[in-house]
Amino acid sequence: MPTDVLANRRIRILATLSMIVLAIFVVRLFQLQVIDHSKYVALARQEQEKRLIIPAMRGELYVMDDGKPVKAVLNQTVYTMFVDPEIVDEPEKVVKTIRQIVGGNTVKGYEDSVYQEDTRYVVVAKKVSYTQAQLVREKKLKGIGFQAESARVYPEGSLAAQTLGFVDVDGVGQYGIEGMFDKQLKGTDGLLQSVTDVANVPLTIGDKNINIPAKNGKNIALTLDRSVQAYAELALAKGIKKSGADAGSVIVMDPNNGKVMAMANLPTYNPGELNKIQSFAQVNNGVVATPYEPGSVMKTFTLATGIDKGVISPDSTYNNTDYIRVDDRVISNASKGQTGTITMQHALNWSLNTGMVTIAERLGDGSINRTARDTMYHYLYDKFRLGQKTGIEVYGESAGRIISPSETEGNAVRYSNMTFGQGMDLTMVQVAASFSAMINGGTYYSPSVIAGSVSDEGVFTPEAQRETYGGIIKPSTSAKMRDMIVKARTAFYADNDRKGYTVGGKTGTSQTIVDGSYDNGQTVATYLGFGGDTKPKYVIMVQVSGKNKNLAGNYDAMPIFTDISNWIIDYLTLQPKV
Amino acid sequence: MSHSHYNRNQYAARRRSGMNRNQNSVAFVSSIKLGPVTHTVLVALMITVLGLIYLTQAIKATSYDYETEKISSQITRLEEEQVNLEVENAKLTALSEVRDSSVARAMVSPEAPSYVNN
Repeated sequence: MPTDVLANRRIRILATLSMIVLAIFVVRLFQLQVIDHSKYVALARQEQEKRLIIPAMRGELYVMDDGKPVKAVLNQTVYTMFVDPEIVDEPEKVVKTIRQIVGGNTVKGYEDSVYQEDTRYVVVAKKVSYTQAQLVREKKLKGIGFQAESARVYPEGSLAAQTLGFVDVDGVGQYGIEGMFDKQLKGTDGLLQSVTDVANVPLTIGDKNINIPAKNGKNIALTLDRSVQAYAELALAKGIKKSGADAGSVIVMDPNNGKVMAMANLPTYNPGELNKIQSFAQVNNGVVATPYEPGSVMKTFTLATGIDKGVISPDSTYNNTDYIRVDDRVISNASKGQTGTITMQHALNWSLNTGMVTIAERLGDGSINRTARDTMYHYLYDKFRLGQKTGIEVYGESAGRIISPSETEGNAVRYSNMTFGQGMDLTMVQVAASFSAMINGGTYYSPSVIAGSVSDEGVFTPEAQRETYGGIIKPSTSAKMRDMIVKARTAFYADNDRKGYTVGGKTGTSQTIVDGSYDNGQTVATYLGFGGDTKPKYVIMVQVSGKNKNLAGNYDAMPIFTDISNWIIDYLTLQPKV
Repeated sequence: MSHSHYNRNQYAARRRSGMNRNQNSVAFVSSIKLGPVTHTVLVALMITVLGLIYLTQAIKATSYDYETEKISSQITRLEEEQVNLEVENAKLTALSEVRDSSVARAMVSPEAPSYVNN
């Protein structure tokens, strides 16, 4: 074969092969760039773009101090400290530094973890503060790292713990305000989507960048007054210790607007030390969540009903024999001996059950019939709004219960017991709010713990007044009740109070139901009263209880009321009457 | 005369293309002739220069990103410090802390106040 023919053939083969290779390239490129275009764009974007969640700061909680909001729950950046044993070059120095600076926050066995060889990430300390982290950083040790996280800080310790609530390990609010307003406190996380470099630094290049700023949670200011709250807790602790009780609660309220100034409960806990909680009783806000039979403090409500309906006056009399029959039951007085014709004021002073049952009978023209029971229910449930949720802005409020006359259980015996505070389940916040209406002229202010909100710049915006219900009772009835309640206190305990001030109150000692029947060996002590100068300025309700403890309103609850009352007169700078 | 290099055909062409009398059709004709290779190289150079300008701008923009990131980190650090100081302040002014302070311990109960009634 001639050489040139051979050469041409080889060239043709080479050209053909080249064309085939080129064709393969073209096909492959077509597949990569056209058919799989979106797939590779997505892969590239995945590699180059980062989506970062910008966490919203949880709203902070404030309490009032001299009329101004001060922080009671704050956020602080704390750090989880870890080591990479592979990078650590001075393990002994690292261990020494950890011990010296973050000794109180270390995890068990941190000394050995620095020498571990099978891992590159070992947590050595938790909840390390900013200052501690800075001190460690200054040592410039290799292999130590920090992970930042936000944590709640409670500078006042256990102050108002049950009202504030806490935030659990998952960042969810539990109990109190934290539980009730979890959604508003959380805020909304922001989003940053951007092309980043190898160090995750967001770059402005790229046409798909997103920057949605985080919306911080709402800062909530509570009506609780820091000083009143602290003193109420102190007085309650002292009182409980003195009486040997297990538990107790106090609510202090402004009767002229329903704002709660203090809500104290014992036993308590420190929200910053959740690992130390031993029982549910510590986190339970008994003032709003635990209904009970308040006992004789409810006699004030029976008297108010009787006076408002015009069937009695403070000076109305009845014949007291220390016993009174209602259907098949005989109801007796706890204090005996005040027999004969006595006034309703006298009955209140001595806390006589017979006087209250007499009022119920007079509401029904001589018997506790359906008319009497309907009237009582109307006043207690519809007017004083007892036995139903008040709507107070705290997690876990209970409705309690007042049995309607339309129910089988709402019979005469039940309603006779209700005249002196048994046979009904009420929460302290219900009673304190209703009592406020009774002595403030007859306006029911829905109780509230929310004073307003505070902006990130620190500007306080007051919350609107919650619902009010005027004309619960006549102003004249309210005035008579104030006078009767002051007389009931001063009849026996006048020396306890600061001179020149108006202070009134009523004791309550209620049996508890043990195994289905009332047990005289376990009683709950209650005291409900008010104080002020020319008009009532505060309402205080105290409750003290204990397992197998026989506690009395005048011995175990009243001293706590007196302690707080005498202190708050100075705190509110009330001026005595001449 | 300055129009001496004009010939009849050129004039006719100018009339056909709608040009008026005495209107210049050629300003300057360079004597340097560029071949196709030179053209290609020049175009490539221009593209390269444009690319470099683009890269410079992109790098400049990115350098602002690093500056922004640096400032953001500084802001975050200062905010952390501020929060830390706020927390310390809150702890030091907490009622329990004040109550147990040496100043509070040294305080005495006030005398009964007198009030002036108008």
